[in-house]
Amino acid sequence: MTRVDVSGEVCPRPALIVRRELSELEAGDRLLVRGDYPPAERNLCRMCRKRGFSVAKSEDGSDGDTFELTIEVTEDAEIPEA
Amino acid sequence: MADRTEDAAVRLTEYADLHGCSCKVGQSDLDDLLGEAGLTQSRDELLFGVGEDAAARKLTDDLALVSTVDFFTPIIDDPYDFGRVAACNAASDAFATGASDNLDCLVVLGLPQELTDVAPSVLAGIADAIDGMGGAVAGGHTIISPWPFAGGAVSATAPPDTLLTSQGASAGDRLYLTKPLGSQSAMGALRVSDDEFADVVADAAGRPINQIGDEALAWMTTPNRAAAIAGRDLATAATDITGFGLVGQAEVLADNSGVGVELTRLPVIAGTEGLSALFGYGLEDGASAETSGGLLLSVPAARSADLESRLDDAGVFYRQVGRVTDGSGVSLDEPTIEPISR
Repeated sequence: MTRVDVSGEVCPRPALIVRRELSELEAGDRLLVRGDYPPAERNLCRMCRKRGFSVAKSEDGSDGDTFELTIEVTEDAEIPEA
Repeated sequence: MADRTEDAAVRLTEYADLHGCSCKVGQSDLDDLLGEAGLTQSRDELLFGVGEDAAARKLTDDLALVSTVDFFTPIIDDPYDFGRVAACNAASDAFATGASDNLDCLVVLGLPQELTDVAPSVLAGIADAIDGMGGAVAGGHTIISPWPFAGGAVSATAPPDTLLTSQGASAGDRLYLTKPLGSQSAMGALRVSDDEFADVVADAAGRPINQIGDEALAWMTTPNRAAAIAGRDLATAATDITGFGLVGQAEVLADNSGVGVELTRLPVIAGTEGLSALFGYGLEDGASAETSGGLLLSVPAARSADLESRLDDAGVFYRQVGRVTDGSGVSLDEPTIEPISR
């Protein structure tokens, strides 16, 4: 699983960094995202789900402001261009 | 966060992690806080207070005093522009009640020690904006703070029977919005317009980012005073669009009035719809935070032509964005998204 850490990044950069990572993936791949900027979690979930990606929040990796999301590239996902 | 020491020019937004009305505490947290503090009951000595955009006290049969306070972190890097937006946003809460006379502003200002030299510019922006609304800066309070913030305690007066709250909307009313949405996306784009993502951001916008930013600034520094005056004696309820976004503010209006709201149209600053999709800000869902947004006016259908005529005469932007129903909550089903250019 690919991992990307957007801790210390403020919106809208987390969405742009994750988008860049997603452009490298194919259907079936998963991306683990860690971050610590509270609005980024909601914005990342929204950005990914609107494009057809599946997003799950990891309760283990989420503590306080820190969050951890697993994004899965579904068959229908609209993979961004690099 | 960028390394602040490398930049010769001050970039105010880099000194705070949350920007503009995005720093507002959420509605449910606020409700919990008020509940825990025992501040949810209405007060006999006030016409209205907690839960509304501003508080109002009846001084005489002909005069009510409206007071409010609002401040936030930098939404824009330029200190003078930040002051203008902060002042416009603070006064907006008073205008949302329809109060527009005898406007005074007590400045609320906080700056990190290393930024105190921008204070005169922030203050000048606030003073010029308040002056442009026919008001006066009457004093203020300044502190040293890790995050910069600016705004003001604003007071204004109006005849008591002309005041508006979020509680008077009735089924059948038409809902008007007096500024396009999208300030959050526009300001977000400016923050990344010169970094590694500049190209993808420019592609998503389809227009020059600086132009979108300039238009957003122009909207955020447009006072809601003229819109408030146009709505006097015509509107049944009003609120202004801030950090909760259009849908969030419409939910407040729906809950407080005991009605439903059906939103059908979202006017947006041209280019911000693409930016919001890129950033995940939810503009297309009416969910993106707005800073110094327009008024949301609820107006009976029979008076809507009069309102439109007054807004036209005053040169105020407006769109009918939905209607009030006898249901509950807010619905937004495949709304028409209308790009607006100035």
